Formats: sequence, structure tokens, C-alpha cells
Amino acid sequence: MSDTPRPYVLIIGGGSVGYHLARHLLERDYEVTLVEKNRGRAEEITHELGSCCVMVGDGDEMAFLATTGIERADVVVAATGDDEDNLVACQLAKRKFNVPRTIARVSDPRHVKLFSAVGIDVPVSATELLMGLIEAELSTELVKGVAVKASGANLVDVALPRLSSLVGRRVGDLSLPGEELLVCIVRNGTAVLPTPEVVIEQGDELIFYSRTLDIESVRELVASS
Amino acid sequence: MLPEPGGAPTPADGGTSYDLSEMKCVILGCGRVGSYLARLLDGEGHQVSVIDLDMAAFNRLGEDFGGNMVPGNGLDEQSLRRAGIEEADCFAAVTNGDNRNLMAAQLAKEVFGVRRVITRVYDPIRAEVYRDIGLETICSTVIGAHMIHDYLTAATPAAQPRSA
Repeated sequence: MSDTPRPYVLIIGGGSVGYHLARHLLERDYEVTLVEKNRGRAEEITHELGSCCVMVGDGDEMAFLATTGIERADVVVAATGDDEDNLVACQLAKRKFNVPRTIARVSDPRHVKLFSAVGIDVPVSATELLMGLIEAELSTELVKGVAVKASGANLVDVALPRLSSLVGRRVGDLSLPGEELLVCIVRNGTAVLPTPEVVIEQGDELIFYSRTLDIESVRELVASS
Repeated sequence: MLPEPGGAPTPADGGTSYDLSEMKCVILGCGRVGSYLARLLDGEGHQVSVIDLDMAAFNRLGEDFGGNMVPGNGLDEQSLRRAGIEEADCFAAVTNGDNRNLMAAQLAKEVFGVRRVITRVYDPIRAEVYRDIGLETICSTVIGAHMIHDYLTAATPAAQPRSA
């Protein structure tokens, strides 16, 4: 179909995450190289994925990285189980090899802040993701937040509590703090455009776009009066 | 091309902006270098905190060490805070893991804003790369090799008179 070259993804770390990610991407026709420093493990993976895709070496050694074709990688994923190794590998990739996008697995959620601070594009903390899902499951208030990729804003989806102070109010009369936008009302499973004359009803689900509102402040906004 | 030792780095702040006579120092790693450094700074009257995962490592500090010993993993904010990183003037990462040292140094610098941050890195190439990012590094491997080289290749007095 298209002439565009397949995206090239370099994965560092052939453990459970790296291996399955590589397999998944190969099935979707990405070009993948998986780097693993343990020779025994590398042989196991080569058996499964094929020798074209697996290299033995240390993902935080400059000299070795230079042999992996990293300079033409579209994405580097540091998927080892050690946060410090992932931190180093991603910074090498970005600063020395100009890889446009770096993704790092972060085992300790407390390290995510540092990863972002040093310019790693996507720090992924599996613990945080799971925590978010668990909280959403356990929460009786049904407030969910989704990050909007490029703008750093959130979409916050809230099911109105029964006695919410917003019930009966016109959308046009709502005064939202900051730069929020009420983007959608979901009523009985249908999406309703929140034009100014629309009146908020019991049982409505409201979706806000906001840079400043987080789940907590939305809870306050829709709380019972 | 072999990496150069680079010499001891000079802090950019020139020491004029705060009191050098009594600095608050946090050291990560109580191995040979860490404990020696800690005793040195402690002896000069600075306030020193040393962090190490291994309690036995603190024995290297000796009986009369006046600083704090903080058991912990210096990669998490909690142990760093217990060691006083929020008020620290300087931070040195000297564990035997290059990447751990680099990560801790970046934490100290980027998250806690510590002014003087330095790390010991064994791998010469990694040391150079991190210097490029703006982290002060000491590569003991290269410095040691150069010193040994200079000794081995020094001209003997009888063979070559020293030029002025």
C-alpha cells in the first residue's frame, strides 16, 4: 500500500516486557531490534523471534549502541527492570543519537518525576497505570481522567452525584474556574452538545477538557450543594 | 581516540554565593571513596550525611565520625530527604554502580536543585557523555591510568636533564 518505511523501534532489555513488546510489534510489521545483555537469554529470544532482531550487548554502552542502527530509530524503548539503566539508555539515545522519541519503563513510580525532568518523552509506570485502574474500579463516584497527549490537558469524565449542585443549571450559566470547557454531556447513553441553553439533568455524565482541573477539583465542582 | 581525564572540575558558582566553611554535604555510597570523602569533609568541619544500603559499610567511617549515617537507597526521595538533601550545598554519588550514581546525581540536581553535584563514574565513555549533559563526573579509571602512564613513561634524571 504505502511507500513509507516501516517504523524502526529499538528495544533495550529482553525480559518479559521487552520480549513481548518485540513480538507484538513484529506481528504488526514494525522493524524491531531487541537488545539483551545476557547471552543465554538472548539465545532463548532469538529462537522465538529470529536472529535478525536480537543483539547481545549492553544498552547503555555507547560503542555497542552505535552498532544497532539506533541513529535511524524512530523510537527507543528502555524496558529493563532497572530504572537507572533505562534512564541512562534513553538519555544516550536522545542526546547522542538524536532519537526523536524515548519511552522508558519505570518500575518505581516515585522515579517518574525525574524521568520527565530530564526529557524522557514517555515514562511508563506500570504501577501507576494499575493504581489508576484500581482506583477507578473502587471509586463509587465514577470520575475518570484521561490525559490528552500533546496539550498536557486532561479530559475528565464525571457521572453527576444525585444531589449535585449542577442539576437544573443552564450550561450557559455555569461559571467554570480557569480555562475549562464542558465538551460533552452524556445523557441516557447519547452524547448531547453542551450549548448554552442546555439544562443539566440528574443522571448526566459530564466530560470536561481542562488544563487546570484535576479529578479532585471536578469532584468539588459537581458535589451536592 | 582515548578519553581524556579532564582534571578536577571547578564549580561554576565560584564559591562566593554561600559559606564554604560549613557546607551541608550528602554522600551516596559508603565504600572506600565515600567513607574517605566523608571523613575528610567531617574533619574540616562540614555537616556530612552518608547514605548506604548496607549498614556494615558505615563501619568504615570510624568511631569519631561526627556526621549522620542514613541507611537507605539513595535513588528514592525519602532517603535523600532524610539525609538532608533539601538543604544540601553539595552532593556526591560514589556507589560502585555507574548508572545508580548518574541517576542519583540527576535527582539531586534536577529535582532537588543542589548546587554542587558530582559523581564518580567507572566507564570512561559514559563519563564523557554525562559531562556533555552537564553533570560533573570524575572518571577514576582514566585518571588512574594516566597517573600510572605518567609514572611509567617519565624520563629518568640521568637520561634527560629537565628543561626549565
